Amino acid sequence: MNFWFTVFRQAGRNLRQTWASQLMTFLTVSLSVLIFAFFSLVYTNMLGAGSRLNEDLRLVVYLDEEPGPEMQEQLRRKIKKFDDVEEIRFISRIDAYYRFADQLGKDSDVLNDIPEDFLPASIEIIPMKSLRGYNQVKLFSEYLASLPGTEKVQYGQEWVERFYYFTKLLTIVVMLSGMLLILTAVFMVAYTIRLTIMNRQDELELLKLVGATNSYIRTPFLLEGILQGFMGSIIGMSALYALFRWISFHFTGPGLLNLFQFNFFPPIVILGIIFSSICLCSYGSYTSIQKFLKM
Amino acid sequence: MIEMIKVGRSYLPDIQALTDISFAVATGEMFFLIGRSGAGKTTLLKLICNMETPTNGLIEVAGYNINKLKGKKLAFLRQKIGVAYQDFKLLSDRTVAENIAISMEVSYKKPQAINQRVRDLLDQLQLVNKHDTLTCELSRGEQQRVTLARSVANSPRLILVDEPTGNLDASTTERVMELLTRSNKAGATIVIATHDESIYRGSNKRVMELRDGKIHSLARSNH
Repeated sequence: MNFWFTVFRQAGRNLRQTWASQLMTFLTVSLSVLIFAFFSLVYTNMLGAGSRLNEDLRLVVYLDEEPGPEMQEQLRRKIKKFDDVEEIRFISRIDAYYRFADQLGKDSDVLNDIPEDFLPASIEIIPMKSLRGYNQVKLFSEYLASLPGTEKVQYGQEWVERFYYFTKLLTIVVMLSGMLLILTAVFMVAYTIRLTIMNRQDELELLKLVGATNSYIRTPFLLEGILQGFMGSIIGMSALYALFRWISFHFTGPGLLNLFQFNFFPPIVILGIIFSSICLCSYGSYTSIQKFLKM
Repeated sequence: MIEMIKVGRSYLPDIQALTDISFAVATGEMFFLIGRSGAGKTTLLKLICNMETPTNGLIEVAGYNINKLKGKKLAFLRQKIGVAYQDFKLLSDRTVAENIAISMEVSYKKPQAINQRVRDLLDQLQLVNKHDTLTCELSRGEQQRVTLARSVANSPRLILVDEPTGNLDASTTERVMELLTRSNKAGATIVIATHDESIYRGSNKRVMELRDGKIHSLARSNH
């Protein structure tokens, strides 16, 4: 009789004898993986949405009067003094008027009686991609506001600020939930294996007395841990995928969720989550059986 | 096969179970350990198979200081020691065959060989019809025989038997002793702790009597 045949038979026997507690652990692991993966998915999608928003980031500096060519050159130098930028575009009062008319489209005739220079001149600045962190943009805008002739600087401050704090909060939630759920999963697996060990204490002691090696006793329990981690994470990820499909199906079309372009985890991340789950559950199982073997 | 030098075993608070036990059992010998209840027979057997550790003294089994062995080395030595415990240590939710097979499974014997050996032993001990019976459904005498079958199943080099005939009638006692004698003739060293004078009387085997945890006498039984 070879080692693996005996070990698999023993693991099967354990699962049969303690199926109720095994089921509870399996559900706990599934739920833990589901909750953690859900928050992680929302988090990564929010980061994705954030970087897409950053792609369109531009700062608009409204000026109190139209700058001449020399003044434009001076302002350009001043701006670049803070940091290099991708693009600096000067918008004259007339350009601003026609842009606005374009945006109004067929309603542009409301502008007929308004003078073409009623809008302020402005500078549109597209910062370098390296300068798109919330704090850096804030510093840059403060610098621009301090330039002579600047009336106001706009870059959707409120929206960027809220988004920044939301992603920060989400980071904390993901990290906390991750830690709590990892502890829960490890504790539950360790507890179930301990129950199995207590349930079979007589047999395990007898196995030691008749000459079973530690690996002969330990391996079936490790297999249980691996199985719980694997099955739990597969079910958890499947449930999350079903939820993701349901959301994608019901919330497609124009709207906020469409703006975010929800994506599921790439295969490498899914494999990583399954692997981590297996490792954690095996660890829970290993610690329990080691305690028994040291007794 | 077994060497004990000045072995003592005490329990808290101040119970001295064994004191200054020194003796040797040769390879292939059948050795009897006698004495009243509480004399220390079971403790002595437990020390030999490393179920307990001595408070002092040296115990060597097959040339190894059994109390120094750990891990795989201890496991492999234990595979060569068959023990029939006084409290049987049977798994009540397993069948008779599974209980006997357990000692062979740990040394990875082939399933066919295990089945054959289990059937042979059940036949020798008149338990063939109990092959698939749960051990909790057996009488004490039957449980005792299953314990004995498990101890000899893996053809160990040393067999320790604690009160093998305590719950048996005369004819079953004879069968049990036949089984042990056969194992002994096949080369196994056997140590039997017993109250039952009939199993060693006239056998010309060495008998050691314990009294209050000390060796009272050690001589051949030829009367």
